[in-house]
Amino acid sequence: MRQVVITGDGLISSLGDHRTVLHTALCDGRSAIKPPEFFSTEKLGCTLACEITAFDAQKYLGKRNLRPLDRTARLVAAAAQLALEDSGFTDEMKVHEAVGLVLGTMFGSIHTISEFDRRALTAGPSYASPMDFANTVISAATGQTAIMQNLRGVNSTISTGASSGLQAIAYAADLIRMGSARALLAGGAEELCFESFYGFERAGLLCPSNNGDQVKYPIPFDVRRGGFLLGEGAALLMLEDASRARERGARVLAEVKGTGSAFDSSRGKNGEKAIKAIAHAARLALKDAELQPNSIDCLSASASGSLRVDRHEAHAMADVFASAAQKLPVTAIKSMLGETLGAAGALQVIALMETMRDRVLPGIRGLEETDGDFPLTMISPQNRQVDVSFGLVNSISFDGHCCSLVLARYP
Amino acid sequence: MEHRVVITGIGLVTPIGTGCATVWRNLLAGRCSFAPVEAYDTRDFSVHYGAEVKEFSATHYLLNTDVETIGRASQFAIAASRLALEDAGLVLDTIGPEQVGVSMGTTSGEPLEIERFDDCFVNEKLERVGAEFMARYPCHNISANIASEFELGGLNIVIPTACAAGNYAVAYAFDALRTGRASVMLAGGADPFSRITYTGFARLGAIAPEICQPFDRHRKGMIPGEGAGVLVLETLAGAIGRGARIYAEVTGYGLSCDAHHMTAAHPESDGAVRAMEEALRSSGTRAEDVSYISAHGTGTLTNDRLETIAVKRLFKQAAYRLPISSIKSMIGHTMGAASAIETAVCALAIHQDRIPPTMNLIEPDPECDLDYVPNQAREHKVNVAMNNAYAFGGNNSSLILKKCEV
Amino acid sequence: MNAIEIRTAVKRTISTTANLETAEIGDNASYKDDLKLDSLTILEIAVGLEYEFKIKIPDEELSEIRTVGDSVRIIQQYLA
Repeated sequence: MRQVVITGDGLISSLGDHRTVLHTALCDGRSAIKPPEFFSTEKLGCTLACEITAFDAQKYLGKRNLRPLDRTARLVAAAAQLALEDSGFTDEMKVHEAVGLVLGTMFGSIHTISEFDRRALTAGPSYASPMDFANTVISAATGQTAIMQNLRGVNSTISTGASSGLQAIAYAADLIRMGSARALLAGGAEELCFESFYGFERAGLLCPSNNGDQVKYPIPFDVRRGGFLLGEGAALLMLEDASRARERGARVLAEVKGTGSAFDSSRGKNGEKAIKAIAHAARLALKDAELQPNSIDCLSASASGSLRVDRHEAHAMADVFASAAQKLPVTAIKSMLGETLGAAGALQVIALMETMRDRVLPGIRGLEETDGDFPLTMISPQNRQVDVSFGLVNSISFDGHCCSLVLARYP
Repeated sequence: MEHRVVITGIGLVTPIGTGCATVWRNLLAGRCSFAPVEAYDTRDFSVHYGAEVKEFSATHYLLNTDVETIGRASQFAIAASRLALEDAGLVLDTIGPEQVGVSMGTTSGEPLEIERFDDCFVNEKLERVGAEFMARYPCHNISANIASEFELGGLNIVIPTACAAGNYAVAYAFDALRTGRASVMLAGGADPFSRITYTGFARLGAIAPEICQPFDRHRKGMIPGEGAGVLVLETLAGAIGRGARIYAEVTGYGLSCDAHHMTAAHPESDGAVRAMEEALRSSGTRAEDVSYISAHGTGTLTNDRLETIAVKRLFKQAAYRLPISSIKSMIGHTMGAASAIETAVCALAIHQDRIPPTMNLIEPDPECDLDYVPNQAREHKVNVAMNNAYAFGGNNSSLILKKCEV
Repeated sequence: MNAIEIRTAVKRTISTTANLETAEIGDNASYKDDLKLDSLTILEIAVGLEYEFKIKIPDEELSEIRTVGDSVRIIQQYLA
């Protein structure tokens, strides 16, 4: 079977647009948490988010006409530009070979969809914007990016809630393994906007910013956690068939060794079932990678500060790793990037590649005390020296979708 | 070793009926479903017709899910899944729940939920939006709700690649089965009738006033529809093991992107041709062996012309002997469900050696000069069927189904 | 509003929709042949102008707009 390697990446995040910049920020314990500037959170319980306020698409995409692209599409097109450059894919190469794009996203652009509808509602349907209509399909950012970057291969969009990005990478890796594609950009994206923010707020999933007596924190695994904070971003990996990457003399950052997915049909409501599904996805990824749990050198957890999901993940990992769980260093970068939904899993993979290179695993910012019965012990606010040959990445949606990926140092 | 993948069950919810047998009978009879839109007031629109699913009773199919907790696309999707499982005679208890996956395509997910949000927003009643919005709206709920209804723990994914999404979902299921990531997949697509979609297509001038007439010289556009199609796909070994009826074998697919324009197809159908070529290559099929094409056939001026060009570019002279039809002439454009329902049509055409017609084709367009099986179903030996679907963003998809030879 | 003011507004909408400098847009430039715009962009400009001027131009007339001058003339007609 073909090996799948990562030959480049591109990211737009609230902590920088390059993997090393992101890694440094994570290791410094910096975060972009602040009141969002693009919409008002007045009268809402949560007033904080991880917004990329200064994002300027033109900086990455030049003077091209960006009007047809909404914010999600601009984030993706910019990340694609960076990933193509980073992996050494020239325009010339894209003409000879159809590069594909597999994008994970929970909403596409819920803001565009809603705004399109609202203008038609208030002004009348004949005033609906034709250009915005093209962007109301959930796959709009994937299509717009393909047009801007001349990506003529597979053009797929994956939605599995907050695990969409990692699931997209898993799918893309399978396509390369099977020989259905040779070079794919894969990852995920999500924009921050009022519509999703309000929805999560009403669902009670966001950490309240001011909760009276008992202050809550969006800190993964912390006993005081009270929900997550929303973030945004786009992150793409260039995945290639290893032999082909060798042929073209590409630099390889890491290998996608195995992936696994499972679903909790109780949607997170039944703790036992939720834990079982998370564990199952991780076991499938290990099996796919032909590795035993004790080969894994660190875990990039999905944990975001969610009351339920963090607990389920901790217990599921204890189940998978058994006695090795006590020695498993764990990080949870959503403590600094927020819950970036579709982008989350891809950002975790990129951060983990830097950990492999730099041998430093970022600590979990703000963590003071974990829940008493959490069976993982190597969770701490401090950075940790690690030597990672194999790392596990989890991406778990709050409503049932679980995906895990084993990343390997290469060669 | 790769597993062979077969279709053993079909579940359909369409504007011309619910259930595989009913829909197939109505398709062969050329029954159309176009009527004034009832879902909302079209007074301010310049067009008024749609293809809606009427007399649909969700509670009849939802045995473990409260109908109030899920959106209309999910209701269609669960109904189609239950019908497909019954049609396949598959008893899920006999298979580990983690071995059964779901892959669904959609264009808009659960658009009625964001439309309700928008109604509240413009009326300054946003406080009426509660926790149900996030529980119902995001599109990944479609496959999730199916899995919850049937307690499935395997792969679970929504592929929202607009109007080609059904083909993408079937292609995903095909890969999952042949690589052993699942033993059984429920795969298909679902979309409800949506104000947003209708508004957009109306603004683009793409909606026909009363009927959809693909490939006709005087065609005036598409008619938006709604529905769901779900197929039971399983490994050939599994199907034989349980003595299942096999409709057809899935043998390959091709996906490509024009990378040209969001709403306009490539002028020379470049991407569509590449998708067909890859579908043929990956399934080890020669072009001359294709016996039927289920067209995207939306009924818009551009689509039908370019689709004809694409078929001619690939099939050359053989294109003129190849029956092609568009069931959108009867059920309208069911968006993300369309290519899933059309995959079912290909499977049935193979199983029954009959081809549903392209209705309302009265005066052929000189630029569309192929055999579109006009107005009358046809008996025809169908060994290999190709299902083509295209979408916003320049997405192209072609799927190949064959008569299953054990 | 006179023709000059309308023309300025039309060019501004073209500029923001199609990423063109207003100086590049001739008073009688053809959307398709001179400005090289695709039909979606042309329609977006037309609808954007209807929205801005709060006028309703029937689709049949909208589809007859070929040039910047056509837009100015029709808007003026519907504003009157």
